[in-house]
Amino acid sequence: MNILVLNCGSSSVKYKLFNMEEKKVMAQGGVEKVGLKGSFLKLTLEDGQKVVLEGEILEHQTAIEYILGVLTSEKYGCIKSLEEINAVGHRVVHGGEKFNSSVLITEDVLHKIEECIEIAPLHNPPNLSGINAITELIPGVPQVAVFDTAFHQTMPDYAYMYGIPYSLYQKYAIRRYGFHGTSHRYVSHRVCEILGIPYESPRMITCHIGNGGSITAIKDGKSVDTSMGFTPVEGLLMGTRSGDVDAGVVSFIMDKEMIGSAGISTLLNKHSGVMGVSGVSSDMRELSAAIEKGNERAKLALRMYNYRIKKYIGSYMAALGGVDILVFTGGVGENNTVVRSEVCKDLEFMGIELDEEKNAQTRGEEAVISSENAKVKIVVVPTDEEFMIASDTMEQLQK
Amino acid sequence: MPEIIEPIESFSLSRKQHEKKLFSKIGVVGCGRDGQNIVGLTASAGLEVVFVEISEEKIQTALNNISKNLETKVENWGLTVSEKRSIMSRITGTLNYNDLKDCDFVIECIRYDDETGERNILLRKEVFKQMEDILAPDAVIATNATTVIISELASDLVHKDRCISLHFLVTQPEARIIEIVKGLYTSDEVFEKMKLFCKLIKHDYISVHESNGLVSLRIFVTMLNEACQMLMENIASLEDIDKLLQVGYGYRLGVFRSADILGIEKMVPLMHNMFDEYGDKKYKPSPLLLRLFRAKHFGLSTRKGFYLYDEDGKLLGPAPLV
Repeated sequence: MNILVLNCGSSSVKYKLFNMEEKKVMAQGGVEKVGLKGSFLKLTLEDGQKVVLEGEILEHQTAIEYILGVLTSEKYGCIKSLEEINAVGHRVVHGGEKFNSSVLITEDVLHKIEECIEIAPLHNPPNLSGINAITELIPGVPQVAVFDTAFHQTMPDYAYMYGIPYSLYQKYAIRRYGFHGTSHRYVSHRVCEILGIPYESPRMITCHIGNGGSITAIKDGKSVDTSMGFTPVEGLLMGTRSGDVDAGVVSFIMDKEMIGSAGISTLLNKHSGVMGVSGVSSDMRELSAAIEKGNERAKLALRMYNYRIKKYIGSYMAALGGVDILVFTGGVGENNTVVRSEVCKDLEFMGIELDEEKNAQTRGEEAVISSENAKVKIVVVPTDEEFMIASDTMEQLQK
Repeated sequence: MPEIIEPIESFSLSRKQHEKKLFSKIGVVGCGRDGQNIVGLTASAGLEVVFVEISEEKIQTALNNISKNLETKVENWGLTVSEKRSIMSRITGTLNYNDLKDCDFVIECIRYDDETGERNILLRKEVFKQMEDILAPDAVIATNATTVIISELASDLVHKDRCISLHFLVTQPEARIIEIVKGLYTSDEVFEKMKLFCKLIKHDYISVHESNGLVSLRIFVTMLNEACQMLMENIASLEDIDKLLQVGYGYRLGVFRSADILGIEKMVPLMHNMFDEYGDKKYKPSPLLLRLFRAKHFGLSTRKGFYLYDEDGKLLGPAPLV
């Protein structure tokens, strides 16, 4: 069975075509700058050769048309006709309270995703255009929606509610939803496979840290808390996002800088985080380079970044009543040995003990990096959201 | 292994004609204040813009002002430094009309004459003709006008149906709305294209028939006249009239501040025009406006109008009018 996975962002469409029997990626790539000047489709061929196809791509529909065109082309394709695509899985960012798992897309489901636009005005509309484009281009093909928020729907109410008037929850559904759910779900399942233990038994903390980042506490195979909230701004210090900030600061800034809701949103989402503190970059490699040159603010930003992760791990250990497995994933979590080492430092009293040697050797691959007899297993698991979406899609079809 | 780079068109699924690019490059003729605003907006939306000016010096001034405007946005947290850099890289100034050649949309914004406060109709006709010679037959030619002009400008062209007028409201950056004005010849297709353009630059639009003052200024000038009248009758102070509009009606700038920003040198001739056209004396410029006009107290641009301003354009207080 061949499953196409689509991830439509505001100005991008990423795709991967899986052969599920062989667990093989048949094709992958993405369109960037949709609706902007200089749009292109970039794909990687089987031998690693990168191909860039340039041209005007004004809408998601056109982008997907080109993707399907490339997949079936003689030159760069891997299938003969669209009929060879048995199903399409879509990443959908926000499922609100309406979805706690992946679903086969029906009229009713579409309608509910549309209703979630109000709480995810930036993310859900492009996801919907992706679904509509497929409906038009490959009529009749089954489509499945996999939600970023669904995994966290198991959070208990005392974890997801904000301490603001309850009526606002009733009126606007303001509560914590959490994101990166597909990634947290994938790595938590995968780590149990690696360690050969049943999914429901361990207490886990999964750290998805990259340019955006979130940490999730998992108990009995369920997410019980996660660091992102109503929007992805809450929680960790990120590349350009502030993470947790005293809400009083927000209104204070708006007052002093005389900016409105759009201004404060850009400030917290694009001007803050590692970038805003260091003034250097949101990229960890550039930050490290600046630290080596003795840049004090870059040092501060990295310390804040690590400290925030450590603090969340500590608080989730309290929430879980201890932890058995700590997972690192995401761009930084998979590759940055220094961050992992700093985060785990001085946590031996809680059973977190890193094997520094194993840690230093592990970059972008699955590996247990805790010391031999440590109580807590620390494991690096590269995330694979697309594969998770593909297998969810297959599961829905087999139902 | 080097990347292979190819055009994408042949990979289209439907083999539809995708080669017709819409708004791949935008041209702007004349880069005074209105032109700078339009150039900044379109480049911010990710479009490539080329503008024509009459001297290297004017090109530099325009680029500096656009850059300064974007800098203000960075300071107000609306834009990041790298976003600003990429916006500036999409803007080119030139002295040569031929550089507009592959534009699919050109907008004319030549300056107002300092003496008359109007834009020279012959010059604009000349510009339109030049554009017709250079541009592809289906490229849209627009002007940024508030008077009855587009049909007249179009009348001498071969492809008249591609002329349209767009009026950008410039009093404040949040005024993201455009009046799209169809002339007698304008085709529906061109109108649709302009709707798409507005969407691309994240502006709302309203459709207006070609008329003097359109909606925005026709309402504005009558209000301005009435406000001047009240001032002359000593009913309330200038600041209080603006305050009432601001607080009471949510009119962010008030009428006198708006007039200063729009430029009294532009308002007065426009009002004469409207008076000629509609014949109603409510459009005739108030003696107070005429007094400011003759004294060349044009508003923000001269740092003196209804209010006084410092060299950065910061409001100092009401100007002594009597």
